[in-house]
Parts: sequence; C-alpha cells; structure tokens
Amino acid sequence: MANLTSDQAKQLSDNFYYLGMAIGDFRYENWDKLSLEENKELSETQNMLLQTGEDILAFSTTLIMDEAVDSLAKINSIASEIQGTIKKLSNIQKGLNVAAAILILGVAIVNRDTKGIGDSIKGVYDTWKAPIR
Amino acid sequence: MNKYRLKSKLILILFALNLVSCVNLKSVGDFSVSSIESIKNYELIDYSFLQHCLDRCADEAIRLYEIKRAQECSCALYEDADSVAQVFYNTIEGYFVGLGELPNNELTTYSSEALLGVLTTEEVGPLQIDERTASAFSSLSNTLLRASTDFYRRKKLAKYIEDANEPIQILLDKFEVIISTNLKGELRFRRERLYAYYMDMKMSRTVLSDYEKGQATADYYHALEEIKRKEMELEVFGKSLNEIAKGHQVLYENRNELSVKSLQNLAKGYSSNIKALISEFKKLNH
Repeated sequence: MANLTSDQAKQLSDNFYYLGMAIGDFRYENWDKLSLEENKELSETQNMLLQTGEDILAFSTTLIMDEAVDSLAKINSIASEIQGTIKKLSNIQKGLNVAAAILILGVAIVNRDTKGIGDSIKGVYDTWKAPIR
Repeated sequence: MNKYRLKSKLILILFALNLVSCVNLKSVGDFSVSSIESIKNYELIDYSFLQHCLDRCADEAIRLYEIKRAQECSCALYEDADSVAQVFYNTIEGYFVGLGELPNNELTTYSSEALLGVLTTEEVGPLQIDERTASAFSSLSNTLLRASTDFYRRKKLAKYIEDANEPIQILLDKFEVIISTNLKGELRFRRERLYAYYMDMKMSRTVLSDYEKGQATADYYHALEEIKRKEMELEVFGKSLNEIAKGHQVLYENRNELSVKSLQNLAKGYSSNIKALISEFKKLNH
C-alpha cells in the first residue's frame, strides 16, 4: 500500500472536522429528543472526531518533512557555499593590506633606509599574521 | 601633449570602470533583507502546535471539570510538527541571510588608505608623485578591484539563485502550508470545541442568572476574537512567504541581468509588499 501523503492527511483531517461539526449540529437540533445518555455518547464521539482530526493535521506536518527532504538538503548546501564565497571576499582586504606593507618595504629598500627596512619587515610580518576580519 | 593624452585616457578608463562597478546588487540585497525580516517573524508568532495541544488539554479539563495536581498531556506528535516547522524556518532563513550578505557592498569596499599613504610619500625612490596623481591611482586600483569582485559576485549570485530557485520554491510553499493550512487549521478545531462547550452550556440550561448568561456569551466571543487574531497572524505570515517566493522567482528569471534597472524596480515592488505584510503582522502580534 502506498504511503499517505500530507495532502491526503489534510483531506482526512477536514473530513473529521466536518463530521464532528455535523454531530454537534445534530445534537443541538434534536436536543429534546435525545436521552441524556445518548446525548453524552454523541458528545464524546464528537469530541473524539475533533481530536482525531487535530492529530491528523499535526501528523500531516511531519509528512511534509519527508516530501521536502531533498530540497532541504540542497538549500543547506547552497547556503554553506555562499558562506564560503563571503569568506573569500573578506580575505581580499587582508591581501590589500599585505600589498601596502610590502610596498612600504620596497620604498625603504630603494631608499637604502636601514631602519625603515627593519620596520617594514616587521610591518609586513604583523599584517600577514593579523587575523582575518 | 603626451601627459595630456595619458590623463584623458586615465579619466576615460576610470569612467568606464565606474560604470561597470556601479552595477549594483542592491536589488538582491534589499530583497533579501526584507525577506529575512519577514521570515524572522516566525519567532514572534503567538502560537505553535505544542501550544495548541496544551490548550486542548486545558479545554478538556474544563469540559470534564477535571482537577488534577498537574496537567496530563500527550503532545509528542505536536512537538514533532513544531520541529519540522523549525527545520523549514532555519533552512530558509539561512539561505536568505547568505543571499543578503553576498551583495553587501561593505564586503568589497576595501580600504586603500594604506596604499594611498605610501603613494603620497614625498619620495618613492627616484620618483616624485603628487597627491592628485596618487589619489587617481588609488581610485583606479579600488575601482578595478570593485569591478572584478562585483563581476565575481554577480556571477556567483546568479549561480546561487539559479541553483536555489527550485528547492527554495518548494520549501517556501511547504512552509506556507505548515503555517497557513496546518497550524491555522488546528485553530478551527479549537473554535468548534469552544462552540460545543458554550452550546452545551446553553442547551442544558446550567447557566441560570442573566449575569452568568451575559458573562458566558462575552467569554465565548472574546475567545473567538483571540482565535481570529491568531488566524490572521498566521495568514499574514503565510502571505509574506508567498511574496518572498514570487520575488525569488523574478530574481531567478532575471539572474543574468541582476543590474538592470527594471529588475531593481521589480524587486523593490516585492520588497515593499513584504514590508507591508511585516507591518500588518506586527500590528496583529501586539
């Protein structure tokens, strides 16, 4: 037998709702004709029908999960890919900072500035080691 | 003369590159921001499957006049339904957060201050570079960088939107069913149960005084009003999911022209529809 789908479960839930409603209307229309016992029994049946309908509706929601499992997996993987791309883009700033630090070192070398060379090497090192923001 | 030509060429190159880099991804960014804000309203929804189950237990205890030390409720099925809704919420939200971050300009507005500082040093070796030229170089390098990353981002975004459209349409549709059909549908049962409770009270004439009759009627309509408010809240949330799905479809259909003005206007239309629903939701939620 094929598995129940969420749509079918929803239709079943509707049926239980309308049955419960119909029993209620029947009780009120025939209130004086029904014995206390009959009325009580019908009231219990009405209540059970409504509860079953509610349960089926909650169950229908869990069936949706099975029907959408592939889509959920696909979107989760696309979302992680996007995060990866964002991380790559953030690293470009670090690249720029390092390039600027190397350029300072280059200038110091061209100028034969010994102190400047020492400072610049430290600058390049610090920039390279700085955490990615 | 040569210097003049070089400057003109530089200006032309800058102008052309600016046109390319100005291609903004604002339409995607704005749409994602509105979508995230709207999806996050899920956390504010004043109802859940579990809450429905607990309310049902309370209604039953009242109907049967059962007084126990603690309420006995079996709500495992309803807790499962809430977990499913939560998975949909987390997945859809996660996707739109990523989609919203990628077009964010801050990501590619790299600071070229350090580079500018070096170029304006009075002496760069044997070269002398004046401040204006240094600024032009800096601007050019920044524009080049922006152009390349904008191109990269557009390409990536188009790919993500293309890959995600089919599954996200399914998820938004199913999530809408969970909220506007199933969760809202549970409230219909509560309404019917209340009707039966008050009708039984009326028909069996257990309420005798006029004051009690008036009080019971007021209680009934007050409860109905509260149910109606919750139903509307769920309905508005469901509608916003539909708008998000439509907006994403438009992005998908125009994924290779993400910069076109008409797309920006279209996406803006969906963003403002979503914003209108957000404000409607907030009114109902208070």
